[in-house]
Amino acid sequence: MVKYLSKRVFYLVLTLFIVTTITFFMMKLMPGTPLTNQEKLSPSEIHTIYQQYGLDKPVWQQYLNYLGGAVTGNFGTSFQFSDQPVSYLIFSRIGASLQLGIQAMIIGVLAGIVVGAIGAIKRNTWVDTTTTIISILGVSVPSFVLAVLLQNWFGLQLRWFPIAEWGGINYTVLPTLALAALPFAETARFMRTEMIDVLNSDYIELAKAKGLHQTGIIYHHALRNSLIPIITIVGPLAVNIMTGSMVVENIFSIPGIGEQFVKSILTNDYPTIMGLTIMYSFMLCVVLLLTDIVYGIIDPRIRITGKKD
Amino acid sequence: MKLKTLAKVGSVTLVTALGLAACGSSNSSSESGSTKTLNWQESANLPTLDPSKATDHVSAETLNNSNEGLLMVGSDNKLEPGVAKSYSVSKDGKTYTFNLRKSKWSDGSEVTAKDFVYGIQRTANPKTASQYSYLLDHVKNYEAISKNKMPVSSLGVKAEGNYKLVVTLSKPQSYFKYIVAMNPLFPQSEKAVKKYGSAYGTKSADQVYNGPYKVTGWTGTNDKWTLTRNKEYYNNSKTKVDKINFIVSKDAGTTLNQYQAGKLDVATLTGKQQVNNFKNSPELHKLPQASTFYLEMNQKKDPVLKNVNIRKAISLAIDRKSLTNDVLGDGSIPAKGFVPTKLASHDGKDFADAAEDSNETTNDVSYNLAEAKKYWAKGLKEVGKKSVSWTLLADDTPNGTKSTEAIQSNLTKLPGLKITNQNLPFKTRLANSQSGKFDLVVSAWIGDYPDPVTFMQLMESNNAYNNGHWSNAKYDELMTAAEGKDANNVNKRWNDMVSAEKVLMDDAGVVPLYQSVTPQVRKDKVKGLQYSNTGASYNFRDLYLK
Repeated sequence: MVKYLSKRVFYLVLTLFIVTTITFFMMKLMPGTPLTNQEKLSPSEIHTIYQQYGLDKPVWQQYLNYLGGAVTGNFGTSFQFSDQPVSYLIFSRIGASLQLGIQAMIIGVLAGIVVGAIGAIKRNTWVDTTTTIISILGVSVPSFVLAVLLQNWFGLQLRWFPIAEWGGINYTVLPTLALAALPFAETARFMRTEMIDVLNSDYIELAKAKGLHQTGIIYHHALRNSLIPIITIVGPLAVNIMTGSMVVENIFSIPGIGEQFVKSILTNDYPTIMGLTIMYSFMLCVVLLLTDIVYGIIDPRIRITGKKD
Repeated sequence: MKLKTLAKVGSVTLVTALGLAACGSSNSSSESGSTKTLNWQESANLPTLDPSKATDHVSAETLNNSNEGLLMVGSDNKLEPGVAKSYSVSKDGKTYTFNLRKSKWSDGSEVTAKDFVYGIQRTANPKTASQYSYLLDHVKNYEAISKNKMPVSSLGVKAEGNYKLVVTLSKPQSYFKYIVAMNPLFPQSEKAVKKYGSAYGTKSADQVYNGPYKVTGWTGTNDKWTLTRNKEYYNNSKTKVDKINFIVSKDAGTTLNQYQAGKLDVATLTGKQQVNNFKNSPELHKLPQASTFYLEMNQKKDPVLKNVNIRKAISLAIDRKSLTNDVLGDGSIPAKGFVPTKLASHDGKDFADAAEDSNETTNDVSYNLAEAKKYWAKGLKEVGKKSVSWTLLADDTPNGTKSTEAIQSNLTKLPGLKITNQNLPFKTRLANSQSGKFDLVVSAWIGDYPDPVTFMQLMESNNAYNNGHWSNAKYDELMTAAEGKDANNVNKRWNDMVSAEKVLMDDAGVVPLYQSVTPQVRKDKVKGLQYSNTGASYNFRDLYLK
């Protein structure tokens, strides 16, 4: 286990390094400057300002400087948020994004498991058809459309929840639901298929033959075994939520980090682009690593060793 | 795995979320107790509270009300006294003397002429990397200081005692009075800059204020901040609104919903549909911006565009009324010329009106397809071509895309002309404009201060922003006179620029398209908001709630 973990951590660092390098050089290929008043500055004025930020140096030198800083925890200062350290920008805005993401994952996945299981147990009845339709809708309606609809119905018309902004937990309900739709629908679909498979398997037949109670069979045998494959889709779903939040945060005026990523790219805010790319890659790697570990714990058939990856 | 526990946790989370939400629907009232509060929408984050570094409209709007310069710009670009009670200009137009009133910073210390000297020097200092320091280009020794050839202390800004500030210019600049009203020339407390160091102006607590309000609640990156009454302000008794909450709402639909739900008192609308919804409402205010959207034609890339008849044909073929009313529909108005209306006036006459060709048949900014086709045929004959194909570059914003589609359909009515549209993100579009990677480009310019020169200088032959490389000796001569020998003669200078604008239009050096407008909705109770179309736009000093 230790050997396996250290190997994975090594790959994580290597991945981050490669991502950082590629992003840095690709970013420098983008036309334009990170300056906020670029349209009104003459080339010579731009050069003077570049000198202050070290942007007049060759790209490879800027890259080395950046790496040197990043290793010691200095990710530079933002251009859009003038002089604000990028690490502060990320830490001060990531809380809202994380809270929404985690809430959406918990609610979406749990609701998906329940609905998917019900669909499987009552398969080929109207209950099954209804849950299938709901999950198809959940997959096909983009989160931003759902966000606008939720905002209009429950925010503006019914006034049950705030239309936008960030305050107490009631402010998180609509954006959470908008983000939860996809994990809910994906989980429900997956769960239904898995559960039907399991319900048709020999050991369930055996349990039935032994005269076990229907609920007992479902709880103790069918549900648990259907859950194992769900773990595999949780990782990619978490990633989906990270990207989905960019639009949803904008619609609900959430002071999160998602929208800053898009904006930093559009404004050539180099230090912010780098900081956020590293952060997103790190989160992605960690989620995938955790998925693998949890998978191994839950399903003893999957071996975690240092030899085979 | 304990499935039951998990399920329980899940349902508890759900129930709590819904339960808390139900009891948490508090209604923010605009008047809680005796505190008068206004909720103001911003479409972007506040990037900085450092007067030397702020270049965007959000910082400008915030700083203009939390701080105060020598003079202030009120409604319709009218100048009002600020920290300077009065000022005088020397006969040669090169020395400005400002007499300051006694006033205080929010920390209780005195605002003196030294704070102005320090603030302006800080903006001029290349180490500050101010992106607005070019506003000081007429101040003595600025050019040398900006190139690190002279110490910043040699800048032509000196304090004589505590309450007199003398500014020496290298050449007369009649509009310097408007420039001193802008945030890069605000006073700055050396004590505060030293105390907060690199954090200066990056949080509301790391700044001092000398205006009617203090900024509170800004963490440097959050989406909400408040202007709170500054009790140390010299005119505090006149401040009627105690708090102004700035709320960032970027999504157009959300903004409108928030306004309609009463969470916002002032908001900016986006697009035709939203503006149409308020068409007959007294809450809608169409605020003209000091901006012109115009076509630049790249003479370097395609010499065909050097032909004046070709350029005139392009201008006459564009239906500006249909573009602003039917296509954009957000209140934008057709451009009369390069300099927008309501930017500057002299002897009661607006510059754009003064320079406009009142003769319909010779006016090149009107729509006349028949005439356009004549010019087009003549032009093509002169350059010896039967057909041309050009790329039309513009921003990828909704308005940018709509404009290119409209212009494309207008221009392709000229026989033999093929237009390919290219809509790019702003920074990329700008880079392509500046490096000449276009045939036609929709450019936009927003004036810095209420003087025509903020536009006119762009089209001088050697100007870095003249992306189409239009060059006209007469135009250059008139502009050189306006900025040189006539600089200190208001009448002559005005006439020079009016004539120059006429030259530009007659020669179709650029093709003006439209002037943009901010469609703002305001609840009825909001009164006394001062709007100016240059600089910081909004001044809250006369604001009150009915």
